[in-house]
Amino acid sequence: MSLAIETNQLTKTYKTRAGQVSVVKNLDLQVERGEIFGFLGPNGAGKTTTIKILLGIIYGTSGWAKVLGEEAGDINVHKKISYLPEKPYYYEHMTGMEIMQFYASLFGIKDKAQCERLLQRVNLGMDMNRPISQYSKGMQQRVGLAQSLLNDPELLFLDEPTGGLDPIAHIEIRDLILKFREEGRTVFISSHELSDVERICDRVAIINKGELVHQGRLEDLLAGGRIEITASGVTQALADKFRSDDVLVSFKGDRLIVDMPDSDSPNEMLDSIRSEKGSVVSVIPRRKRLEDLFLESVRSDNQAKGRVLNKMSDDHNDPKPSAEEETEVGS
Amino acid sequence: MNAILSIAKTTIGEAIRRKVLLIILLIGVLFLVIAPGLNVLSARSSFAVLISFTLGVIQLTGAVIAIVLTVYLIPNEIERRTIYTILCKPVHRWQFVLGKYFGAVGALGLMMLLMTGILLLVFKIMQPTATFDVLGEIARGPVFFFIQMSILAAVAMCFSVFASPIVNFFLSGGVFMVGTLFSPVFQDLANNQNLAGPVKMAATAIHTILPNFAQYNIQNPIINQGVTIQSEQLYYVGLLGYAVMYIAGLLIGAILIFDRREV
Ligand SMILES: Nc1ncnc2c1ncn2[C@@H]1O[C@H](COP(=O)(O)OP(=O)(O)O)[C@@H](O)[C@H]1O
Ligand SMILES: [Mg+2]
Repeated sequence: MSLAIETNQLTKTYKTRAGQVSVVKNLDLQVERGEIFGFLGPNGAGKTTTIKILLGIIYGTSGWAKVLGEEAGDINVHKKISYLPEKPYYYEHMTGMEIMQFYASLFGIKDKAQCERLLQRVNLGMDMNRPISQYSKGMQQRVGLAQSLLNDPELLFLDEPTGGLDPIAHIEIRDLILKFREEGRTVFISSHELSDVERICDRVAIINKGELVHQGRLEDLLAGGRIEITASGVTQALADKFRSDDVLVSFKGDRLIVDMPDSDSPNEMLDSIRSEKGSVVSVIPRRKRLEDLFLESVRSDNQAKGRVLNKMSDDHNDPKPSAEEETEVGS
Repeated sequence: MNAILSIAKTTIGEAIRRKVLLIILLIGVLFLVIAPGLNVLSARSSFAVLISFTLGVIQLTGAVIAIVLTVYLIPNEIERRTIYTILCKPVHRWQFVLGKYFGAVGALGLMMLLMTGILLLVFKIMQPTATFDVLGEIARGPVFFFIQMSILAAVAMCFSVFASPIVNFFLSGGVFMVGTLFSPVFQDLANNQNLAGPVKMAATAIHTILPNFAQYNIQNPIINQGVTIQSEQLYYVGLLGYAVMYIAGLLIGAILIFDRREV
């Protein structure tokens, strides 16, 4: 079976007053069926642009993109996918139920009971006859998820699905997304908030300024965590014995702190601490966090290209004050 | 078909709640209601003046609503991103454009229906003896205004796939004014045997390209002076046919442009 999503050297170039800018550059993505794929990058990295190309809402300048084995934008593919845009907005005069029926009709679905079932599934059973204008952000996002399930999609595109939501809404949305995987769906989720993605993604791609800087299984990318051992009553001489290229040793007051890679076993070290009458206070595994990987990747990518990390946000505001808004209103 | 209807229905629901449109409508209705009073005060108070004034109010209000409503239809969809949730479904772009257009026409129809109802009510109160025939005669004007506004909405729709709402407002307004005021002039020029070839051709070209809005002012005897009407029905069918062709042409243009546009 084909990949869920595949892009090859996908590039999107815009002509702006400042000249040509490539907001997506030679992007190669491979998303397997049935996985939750995290598409990560800072604001303005080109995530939304890529998703829009995959949906056929805009067109790549060069390279190609395939979704469920067909060319991006194919109307038959649209029957099998769904999309939850970033910061979506729904017709405010309609109730949750009316919104669902509207989107259902676009698929030719007339089954009112199905709309109701999906609203109940996202916990909106009680509120489905209230107008959307009275819904909280989290509720609106849940309507969005409910409508995105109408066609029982094989593949879902969720663009920053937890953006601007409170922590409880975050968890609700995250749990729903995890269920999607259990049901065998592929989920392509873009985010710059890593804490959400970290817990649910199987694989991730990290992009920065339109370019891929990392792609792989989350476990592999996060491999190479460290272990921190804290002990007391250890002599300086023993501590020096532990020290090596990859093992950091320091004293905090009378406490010894050893920071070592988790590829080595700490047993030997723990034994020698105890045999020297020292006592182990704690052994803490520190898994590398996605956040570290993300910052690391983006920073080194920026450095490699002579950019400064701090400048990233300035870049965004500087030449065109509301570049992103301008995008949305149309060109 | 389903998709077009759903999009049209949603568009109507949204349009009839838009405050700007409701305010314009309210002003129109207000003029209709106070028209008899103004008429009594004026020196040449007559039934004919009252009719032409109130019909003028309906036409002008209809035109402003048609333009203000249509120029924002697609830009608003893009700004609010609702268009993405629609175009990522199995909906063709032409279905989207048609749904939006029919929604605009539907909302416009409802608003003009309301104004016509109020117009008839005012007349019935002014002239309690007026028969259905007389009222029907009066209602004919707004019916043709509605066809006129449907063309105008198609003009604005066509511009809206590439022009910003403000630019579109003036473009569509300009086309409406020229098409209403000057169509008879160009028509005369085109039919004038004494003119030089190129002038005639230019006049014919303009007359063909510009929508002839004027012919829908059926109650204006000055504009329809030259036309000798053999059969009234046939003439009306002709007007309807012209509108359908014109609207179809404009919408096909809009769809062709919109189809490859990035949104
Ligand atoms: N139509 C456009 N014209 C010019 N630049 C654009 C256009 N659309 C998007 N961009 C730019 O492309 C970059 C990527 O945008 P986007 O894909 O929305 O980023 P993300 O979703 O990762 O935050 C931004 O810097 C944005 O300003
Ligand atoms: Mg984005």
